[in-house]
Amino acid sequence: MTAQVNSSRAVRASYRALEPSRAGKVLRVVLLSVASVVTIFPFYAMVVLSLKPVAAVEFPGSLVPWPFDGGAYERVLGGGDLPVWTLNTLVYSLVSVVLVLVLASLAGYAFAKKRFPGKETMFWSFLAMVMVPYHVTLIPLFVLVASAGGVDTFWGLIVPTLANAQAVFLMRQFIAALPDELFEAARLDGASEWRIFMRIVLPLCKPILATLGLFVFLWHWNDFLWPLVVGKSTDMRTLTVGIAALQEQNVPLNVVLAGATVAFVPIFAAYLVGQRYLTEGVTMSGIKG
Amino acid sequence: MRLRMIAPAALLLAATAACGSGGSGGSGDDKQTVTMWLYPVIADEAKHKAFWNEQIAAFTKDHPKIDVKVEIYPWAKREESLATAIAGNKAPDLVYLIPDQMPKFAKAIEPVDSYLSDAAKADYRDNVKQAVSIDGKMMGAPILMGANPLMCNQKVLDAAGVEAPKTWDDVLAIAPKLKEKGFDVTNYYADPSATLNQSFYPLLWQAGGNVFTPDGTKAAFNGPEGVKALTFLKTLADKGYVEKDLLTGIPAFEQTHLAQNKVACTWQQVPADVESFWGAENIKIFPPLTGVKQAGYGSIGALSMLKAATSKEAAGQWLAFATSPAVTKAYDAASSFFSPQKSTGALYSSGANAEMEKTLDLMTGAPLHPKARDVMGVLAPEIQAALIGQKTPEQALNDAATAANGLIGQ
Amino acid sequence: MTVTVQTRPSRVRAGRRPAGARHEARWGLAFVLPCFLLFLVFRFGPAVAGTLLGFFEYTIGDSPHFTGLDNFTRMMGDPVFWQALKVTVLYTVLYLPLSIGVSLGLALLVRRSFRGVRLFRSVFFLPVITSLVLAATIFTWLFSSSGPWGKLFGGSWLASPVLVIPALVIVSVWSRFGYGMLILLARLQDVPRELEEAALSDGAGPWQRFRYVVLPQLRPAVFFLLVIETTNSFQVFDLVYVMTGGGPARSSYTLVMDLYDQGFKNFDLGYASALGVALFVLTLFVALLQRLLMGRGK
Repeated sequence: MTAQVNSSRAVRASYRALEPSRAGKVLRVVLLSVASVVTIFPFYAMVVLSLKPVAAVEFPGSLVPWPFDGGAYERVLGGGDLPVWTLNTLVYSLVSVVLVLVLASLAGYAFAKKRFPGKETMFWSFLAMVMVPYHVTLIPLFVLVASAGGVDTFWGLIVPTLANAQAVFLMRQFIAALPDELFEAARLDGASEWRIFMRIVLPLCKPILATLGLFVFLWHWNDFLWPLVVGKSTDMRTLTVGIAALQEQNVPLNVVLAGATVAFVPIFAAYLVGQRYLTEGVTMSGIKG
Repeated sequence: MRLRMIAPAALLLAATAACGSGGSGGSGDDKQTVTMWLYPVIADEAKHKAFWNEQIAAFTKDHPKIDVKVEIYPWAKREESLATAIAGNKAPDLVYLIPDQMPKFAKAIEPVDSYLSDAAKADYRDNVKQAVSIDGKMMGAPILMGANPLMCNQKVLDAAGVEAPKTWDDVLAIAPKLKEKGFDVTNYYADPSATLNQSFYPLLWQAGGNVFTPDGTKAAFNGPEGVKALTFLKTLADKGYVEKDLLTGIPAFEQTHLAQNKVACTWQQVPADVESFWGAENIKIFPPLTGVKQAGYGSIGALSMLKAATSKEAAGQWLAFATSPAVTKAYDAASSFFSPQKSTGALYSSGANAEMEKTLDLMTGAPLHPKARDVMGVLAPEIQAALIGQKTPEQALNDAATAANGLIGQ
Repeated sequence: MTVTVQTRPSRVRAGRRPAGARHEARWGLAFVLPCFLLFLVFRFGPAVAGTLLGFFEYTIGDSPHFTGLDNFTRMMGDPVFWQALKVTVLYTVLYLPLSIGVSLGLALLVRRSFRGVRLFRSVFFLPVITSLVLAATIFTWLFSSSGPWGKLFGGSWLASPVLVIPALVIVSVWSRFGYGMLILLARLQDVPRELEEAALSDGAGPWQRFRYVVLPQLRPAVFFLLVIETTNSFQVFDLVYVMTGGGPARSSYTLVMDLYDQGFKNFDLGYASALGVALFVLTLFVALLQRLLMGRGK
């Protein structure tokens, strides 16, 4: 696989030599295929079981997808205010994503590339707050939001979730790895700080912003406890809360899975649309140059 | 330029501060609002809402100045949502509670005695009234009652050619015959998150024991009665007479032997749980089992008033209306529960529910000790340890009792 | 790359006037400020309040009574706490290497483009977009004795006091590795190809290229993953809550399960907060340790 090289023709050969050999390629595909099957299997089981009649769960018969039975979906979709819940969830998730991305990239850039007083303290206090268990802060946080009149409002739902330390941390780690020379060059050209952020930092962060954005979206989309606690009235319900409210205590597996699949489909659709951007990455010529 | 960046932060902060005096409040002209939280007692949300809308309409005819709002919350995470609401002063005026929850919320609950008429109080079954009373005060007005007698699957009994058991000895006698045919004699949920009220406590009561000493200063479940109950249970587990998966987890219900028509009798589920799996005709109800004595667990749902209620008087009027026999009768019939009151008479004339209804007075409520839940938390894992063979029944119960006494002493 | 906050000063910057430093500090603060204020109000405040409760006795509907260190003394003598700590540490020790190893391995396998690479990447990311509760539900079935895993091993892993933690770790890894993979991948794509080619022409084998060229570039991302995954696994809750309830016989009873039971089942909010403080101190300690080790390795 390695080759001792010197001449310029051989350099081109080495370029190819970074690629695995034929045997390596086969091994790669085999490994990846096995990993894919393992990854997909539980997922396949979820969808198939949600389409089964109640109690058809004995393996292996339960994993044959036919015949379909939509009974579970009827129970989940019947009678609810699905459009309202979806809309609420969309507002909660999308607004949060945009704001978190802006706030986190600003702060991440400053933590990575700027020197200012109190930086170390601020950064570690950010990080430390990730380590305080959520259940400890739940009641004080709710008391705060409630006393500010945030119960049953979108801002009460969204604003407390914007201080996302994990997002700041992630952005900082990525921006820290970008070479300083890029920013210095722009600075010497007389670009303002704001312009540097907009024109250099953000474009270079595209892949990680896509990743982070998707995650923030998912956190919010799947969140249950906070929307439940803040949205007291029926009109403020999100999808997760709304679907849970439709269920009695002993819910059959297929109904749980059908409910989850209903909440999952929009995410999956968004993922199909956005995954190219997300998983392909972006060639960052600026860095390599 | 800099302003542009500080602006959003300042805005957010201002918004936080400015909204300080939020809160919806009543809508002028001294109309009072009563909020009540319920859970999906009737699973169909549309029907559940329709039921209460009808009641509210009837109530507001006589009380035009009271505006009643009913919110139906999910069962999931209901303790968190209620606890945060109380702490944040956003709790409803009335909330559905089960007696289990009452000792823990006691400090936030307004006793309902003075809002119910003497006649209404006298109308409650004695065991029901006792089950919601702490220090002689009613912590909620019961609205429904459930019973857990012995329920058997006729199909299974017939297939194995056995009779429904009446006593513990009967259970042990028919178990091998059932096992031979591939059936379990009963089922037992040992997962620590399953309540002991429905599982172990009935056995403890049947053995003549109690969870706490009468004065409540010590745990009593580790006496000879408790050991007897746990030994009985362990025999069932060791000999393979009960489903193994239930000893360690809670599978989705339809995956259990019970739903698969492989269990003869149970005291942990009720007809509503199994009807779609067994068929109504196969459900047979028997009085609860007898060890030394006969006992079963009766669950209760009650409406409790919170101390922070905006208008206790208005809330009290609605409470009296919502728990009046006419309303509970309709509500319980619609949700397949039973009436906690005597004056409603029988709600069901035939079928399993009618049989269940006859056993209501044999039922015991959950222990109403302030540490009842904490004690359950230390006892359940020990029972599980005994059942999977890590400890002997004596050891397990004594270890649990030591921990429990520590909790009670605090 | 550096993991400390001080980024290496560039030659250009070293020669700048103090006024430039002030300018930089002003902008730095301005960029951090919006986030920091929100953070102060909605994270720091509640966290401090919650933490302080550890020194009080407090239940719902009552006012808090100051009890000093009582909750902490009780904790030290509470066998349930020690059991929960043991379970939590064991879980983390199994989870961390497995999850980061799987993420890294797959990230390396899919870093170069070839036919079908996008399909593989998309597939690996699928578990991440399903909610943890959903994953817990389906894995409960897979592990149960009517599911394939249970049938394969002749019984449920969740029922075994020894195998229950490995089972939970498997579910966690399944649902999280895509996240790690993507983060490492985003970083891997920035590794200049020239560096690897240079190493190759110097005769470095695949392992040496990985060890001396690729890995140093990955350090900030790996450090991020380490800290976040440690925190996550110290705080594992939903999965355990849905799948085992902490059983059998407390074999999977984690610290946050204990905290949850004390806080939201028993409403002993003071003691729950004390448990939270213990968990916080433990996590912070481990994070600082990781930082020290990662910093030294450069």
